[in-house]
Formats: sequence, structure tokens, C-alpha cells
Amino acid sequence: MAHFELLARCPTTRARVTRITLAHGATMLPTFMPVATQAAIKGLTPQQVESLGVTLILNNTYHLNLRPGIKVLSEAGGAHKFQGWNRNLLTDSGGFQLVSLSKFTTITEEGALFESPFTGEPTMLTPEESISIQHAIGADIIMQLDDVVPSLTQDRARVEEAMERSVRWLDRCITHHNLSGKRATQNLFAIVQGGLDLELRDRCVTHMIQRKNDVAGFAIGGLSGGEEKDVFWRVVKQCTDKLPEDRPRYCMGIGFAEDLLVCVALGVDMADCVFPTRTARFGVALTHNGPLNLRLAKYASDFEAIDSSCPCPTCVKGTSRAMLHHIIGRETAAAQGRSLLASVTIHNIVFQARIMGDARDAIMDGTFPDYLRTFFSNYFGDVGYPEWCVNALRSVNVDLLEGSDIKVVSGKGAKWEYSSTVT
Amino acid sequence: MISFSVASSSRFGPRTGNLTLRRPGTSVSINTPGLMVATSRGVVSHLGRDQYERTPALRVVQVPFESFLENSPPTPTLQPGPNPLHTFLGFNPNQHLLSLTLRDPADRRETPANGHDYISVSTGRGMKKITPDQWRAHVHACAPDLVVALPDIPWTLPPFSQKRTTKSIERTAAWLAHMLAPAPQPLNILVHMAGGIAEPARRAFTDSLTETLHGKEAESVRPHKCLDDGVSGYVFDLVPLRRALDASPDASRNDQQETVALLKASLTSAPSTKLRVANSAGSPHEILRLVRDVGVDIFDSKWAQDAAHLGVALDFTFPVSSVTGNQRDLGHNLFRTQYAHDFSLFADSAPACPCGACAPVASPTVIAHSAHDVHTPIAPTPYTRAYVHHLLHTHEMSAHALLVMHNLEVLDAFFAGVRGVIDGGSSFGDEVDRFVAQYSEAQAAIDEARTMWDVVNVARGKGRMARERADAVADD
Repeated sequence: MAHFELLARCPTTRARVTRITLAHGATMLPTFMPVATQAAIKGLTPQQVESLGVTLILNNTYHLNLRPGIKVLSEAGGAHKFQGWNRNLLTDSGGFQLVSLSKFTTITEEGALFESPFTGEPTMLTPEESISIQHAIGADIIMQLDDVVPSLTQDRARVEEAMERSVRWLDRCITHHNLSGKRATQNLFAIVQGGLDLELRDRCVTHMIQRKNDVAGFAIGGLSGGEEKDVFWRVVKQCTDKLPEDRPRYCMGIGFAEDLLVCVALGVDMADCVFPTRTARFGVALTHNGPLNLRLAKYASDFEAIDSSCPCPTCVKGTSRAMLHHIIGRETAAAQGRSLLASVTIHNIVFQARIMGDARDAIMDGTFPDYLRTFFSNYFGDVGYPEWCVNALRSVNVDLLEGSDIKVVSGKGAKWEYSSTVT
Repeated sequence: MISFSVASSSRFGPRTGNLTLRRPGTSVSINTPGLMVATSRGVVSHLGRDQYERTPALRVVQVPFESFLENSPPTPTLQPGPNPLHTFLGFNPNQHLLSLTLRDPADRRETPANGHDYISVSTGRGMKKITPDQWRAHVHACAPDLVVALPDIPWTLPPFSQKRTTKSIERTAAWLAHMLAPAPQPLNILVHMAGGIAEPARRAFTDSLTETLHGKEAESVRPHKCLDDGVSGYVFDLVPLRRALDASPDASRNDQQETVALLKASLTSAPSTKLRVANSAGSPHEILRLVRDVGVDIFDSKWAQDAAHLGVALDFTFPVSSVTGNQRDLGHNLFRTQYAHDFSLFADSAPACPCGACAPVASPTVIAHSAHDVHTPIAPTPYTRAYVHHLLHTHEMSAHALLVMHNLEVLDAFFAGVRGVIDGGSSFGDEVDRFVAQYSEAQAAIDEARTMWDVVNVARGKGRMARERADAVADD
């Protein structure tokens, strides 16, 4: 099993610095995991990703099972070798995409019944099958198959059923995994479900931590589905407060800077999201002062780098906003555009890694609350703090408003540079 | 300044040479025959800037300017600091030699007629007219290492009348003279050899370059005695020649021989020691013929880059070690199902390909994001045909980055082989014959990849497998 060490704890918040050592090396936590859905981070080679200081990425089981398929991956000696990625890798269970991408998926106690994309025949993805596929892929961290319901589901009985079934499926995953002989190299994570209902979440955590000796970590699933952010953070906190100290905690599907830092303050160690890489492909570069939409005309003759203090190759080489604008502005220039969009992808991956790395340093130094205040003031100073961030951080003893005259805005508060602000 | 030296004193035939650019504190040197990498919208398609320096074949780079004319003034002309074009486009002045052209020499689309004092360009946001004055101003603002003087190449529908060809010669010469007028910074100027597919017209154009000027004309290009004195080399754009030959009614014409004859017509009375550049050679076979029969020094690599764009990994060498079996394709169409389980390197014939895909090296620097980050280097493993096959079928862009790096190295090694044979003294013509015997010029792999690229482009997205299944049922 993974070697998991606690290196430092923030005396004020629930944040902590840990190190997880897996079959492909050590990864410092808290960390953000870029998503390589089809065994590639869009536009980048594994060498490029590695040079950015990334040590843990995510592959999607559903996609890899379709292409290249398990046979090819087995022949290659696993997904690491297939894609030339020598660092740590995490795969999801495939269940989430099954629900979101497949037609006619029905969940039964046996597993998820869906139309096979290969044959069109009804096919069952069972917890055992999900684990077997993930064994063939060979990721360092594998996820249990869970019963996912959309976070906005009103039917509490369905949410409760899904939560309880996820616990039963965890048991089947554990049994299958333990019998496989893969425990030495692959680490199974449980996924806490229970929707937005704090009582259901609490029961789920209680059941799952009873299985602690058989799981290497715990994920918080079923969020980031359009729920109120003020509800989101309360669910995360409910879970992290109760999850054991000696296991990593992974909040699935989050990637906005404010979400990441709030979650870290609440005790989350890992997160993943397609947002930073996807938004790059639409020409949006992430910075400490908020996102830059490089398609806007105001960048056409801006010869500054995206962020002159950024250590990414794009910024270090002085790639100007004007050049990025020149390339990104044209839909027709697909091939050329892609090479420069890769420059923005590189930048955004480094931005995510930086805010998490800086958080680690601040936690180690005992200055994490100051780091939070500085970050939020730079990021939201001009538009106002999202109220939910203020509330969430107050719950872990950090008051963003202390000594600040920055206003508070309700709602999601996510910051964006819309094209209506063209100057 | 640019200097070029050739080893051979004969006017036509294979020759090696060296092109050196000296700048304050450094020099960039390229052996010829060699390649020039094509760019589009100012970037080497599919390559990231961090991959530029890991692509040793990237030394001479051709930059068509027209896409920058979308903005007025064009953005690169506003770039502050030294080496503005290098800076703006992310090329290294110590490694890369930039050659600026107004138009993309590979673009064969019909374009509105040029005028007496302007040419029509395609900006990506419609057509624009550019005058010699504007071109000269943009060039001086960008400070490229080489620049092609504005040529009047007709892009309306061929065939072209004798009158139009005459105009083309006159304007190209006049616009070259305009470029040669005294300026604060000296430029290294290439001239496109005008005259279209009429050999007498091409000879006449060269005569207009080499004739001694008098009076006002001489005054305007001082200290040069003739236009050719101010020229560093000659450019041959093959696309307009092919376009005009295709429109010619003479069905018995041999386009290969004709192209060689046209290039020779331009060079018969020109100094033989100047750089010769050919754009848009369509195959290594064509490159070899132009080296053997004319003595062209630099070729753009657009063809190899296009192959990468389509999913083809090039796999050929020159000289051929031993001609074996059937004629081979020049590369592998990695879209093909046979490569799904093929974990070998991209090329059979070049097992030691040093490219970033076949011989990846770990980045010498890895960004540390916190004080406690520790990086232990791991030697990377080469990429396989199976992986690129997967990337192509999932429409992942990194497939093309890997293939561009590879194809440029294959072509670069090919040119090293060409130089080796020429300098080695064995018969270059015999080696060309062996190459032609071994490799098919038909480019079946590339044509097939083009079709499959289109299929994946249309098919990709949600529900793809269901649609492909439905198609398979319909086909049965």
C-alpha cells in the first residue's frame, strides 16, 4: 500500500502537508491533478507535463476501455508504458462517464447496465469488472465503482439508496482488489456519496471508515454538479472533519482556484478537474489576478507575458499576450492555434501547481491564513469576495474580511473575463 | 550579414555549401543542401515553443507575413527590443535564422489580381493590398535575417498571357530595386525568379537583374552596379509553376523535366555562387532531382510537416543501404489498424532517429512548486506507433507534435545523407536512381492518411462508436 506521511499541519485551519509515495514515486499533497482523459493531456507530451513539476495525473477508465482498449494496454504493459508517463497515475472507476455519456444506463444492485459502445448490446459494468479494468490499466491509485446521482437530485430516497449501494459496492471492490494480488502496486480509494444531505454523508463516512484498513484513501464524490457553493463547502467540511487523519482525502471534480484553496483549508489533499486545460483551449489563461481571456481585442498589442513571475516555459520564454491573441483569434487556423493553445495549457497547469505548491510552503511555514488572505485579495479584490468563500474560511478560523474593505458578493462569485468587457 | 559559400564551381549539378549568418556576438551556420522549416501564422504548426529548441532540424525558418496584416499596424512591427521578429515568434537568435516572405508560398488558392503598385494578400480576415512601400517598412520594423523582395506572381486563373508575364518581370524587378534603395539597416535580400513557365521570360528576368544600371536607376540602388549585386540568393516557388503547367494544353509535357528546365533558364546567366531556395518540393524524389540537375541549396520542409499533420511517420533514408524487395512507401500511415498493436519505433530504416519522439530526453529542468518538492529524474521511453495510432484516433493533438519532430529529423538526416554522397565523390546520380528504385514517389501512405484524417475529424465526438457501428451495418 501507499506510504502516507503527515509533514505539517496548519495550526489555524484544517489544512495539512502530506506526502504520498506510490509505485511511481512521491507526490506532495495538497496537489491538483491534471486530467489526461485519453492518455494524453491535450496537446502536450508526457515529457512536457513532467517538466512542469507534475507528478500525478488522471486517466479516464471509461475512455481508455473504449480506446485503445484493455488488450492493447495489457500488451503495452499498462497505461504508464503505453503513454510514456513514468510518474503517478490515478484512474476513475468509469462509472461517472457511464452515467454522463452513455444512453440507457440503468443501475441495478449487480452493477451499471448500459448499451455497449462496442456492440450495442446491453452490458453490465460491475464493481469487480471496474476494478479488473483498472488493474489492466495499472494506475497507482484506482477508484471504487460508486452509484453516482446528480448532486441536484431531489429524491432523497434515491440519494440514500445510491449512498448505501456505494458502500456495498466498496465491499465488493475491496474483496476483488484484495484477491487480485495488486495491492502492493495499486491503491484503492473509497468514494463518499450522500448527495447534499449532511446526514447521509455522515452515515456514508461512518460506514466507509470502518473499511479503512482496506482502502488507501477517501474521495468525496457526487459534488460539482451545479449545487449551491454554500452547500458544496458544507458537504466537503462534513466529510473532511470526520475522515481519518492517516489517509489522503480527494475532492473530485474541482479546479477553480478559489474552490481549491477553500478545500485545502477544509482539509482536502487532492483534486482534479478538466477546467484549467479545457479553458486554455478557449484561450483563457489563469493568473493570480483572475483569468485573462486572450481572445479579447485589448490583448492584440500587449507584449507582456501572461504573468512575468510565472516559471512556466510559456512565460519564461516571454510569449506575449499579443502573439497568443494572434493565434487564438482564428478558428480557421486550427493546427497553428493548437500549438499555441498548448502554450496556454502549459501555463494553466503550472498555475494550478503553483497555487497548491505555494499553499504547501505556507502550511509548512505556518503562514497559510496569510497566504489565503493575500491570494483572495489579489484574485477577487476588484470584484469582491464570493460570500461562500468568506463563510467557508470563517468555519476554519480565517476571516477574509478582517482589516479589508473588499466587498462581498453573493452567488457563485466565480471570476471571469467576459467578452462584454472588450475595451 | 549573410555569407554563402559553395564547394562546386560548375553552374548546374549537385553541390554542397554553407550559409552563415553573423550577428553581434554569435553566428548561425547551416550546411546545404538543407531544409527550411515552414510556419503558418508565425508558428511551426503543432510544435510548442518549448519544443522548438528540442528540434535540432529547426535552424532556418520561413515566416509568411500575410496573416499579421489583419491588424494595422501589424503586431510584429510593434514588438520592442532587439530581434523583434525572433522575440515575437519565440525563436532564438542564436539558433534560428528567419526568412520573411509576404505570402505563404504553399498557398495555391486563387487571389484577386495584383496591381501596378500593389499585390493582393490573404490575411485570414479577407484580402488586402500591400504596396512595396508598406512591405519595405514592415520588413525594416521586423528585422528578419533574410527577406524575399516583393514578387509579382499572378494568382488569378492561369494560363497567363505574354503581356501579363512581361508585367510580372517588370514589377518584380522594380520592386526589388525599391527594396535595394539605401536604408539605415542593411538587409539580406532574396529575389523570386520571375517569368512563369516561359523560358525566354525567365532568361529576360535574370538579364534585368544582371544588366548594369545607369543614371537615375543606378542612383536609386547605390552602391550596387546592378540589381543582382544587392541580392543574396534566388527563390523558386514551385506552386505557381505547377499551377501554370497544369493549365497548359500540352499533354505530352514532362513536368519534372520542364521544372528543371525553367529553373535552369533563370540561372543560366546568373552568378552561380549565390544561394538557391526552392519552396514546396513535393517529395524527396523531387528534392533529389533539383539537387542533381539544378543544384538547389535549400528546400522548405512543408511536405514533411504536412505528412505529420495527416498522421504519417516518415521512414526513409538517403543513400539507400541496399535496394531490397518491393518499392517501399516513404512512411507509415499510423491511422491504419495494423499499428494499434505495434509497439515499435516510428521508423524501421532509421533505428537511431534522434527526434523528440524516438529518443525523448527528460527535461533538464523540472519546475519545483514548493520547498519540499523532490524530483528524481527517470529516463523517458520512446513513443510507439501504437500510442500515436491511439492519439490519432482520439484526435489528440500531441500525435502531430510527435510526428512533426520526427518527420523534420528524418528529412534533416536525408539532407545530411545528400551532402555526404556529394562530398564523398561517388556518383550522386547513381544514388538517386537507387533511392527512386527503393521508394515509391506515389505517396500512397499520405493519400490514405488524408482520407482517414477526414474520417476521424468527421466522426469524433459523443456517440462516435455507435455511428461507426451503424455505418458498418450499412456497409454489410
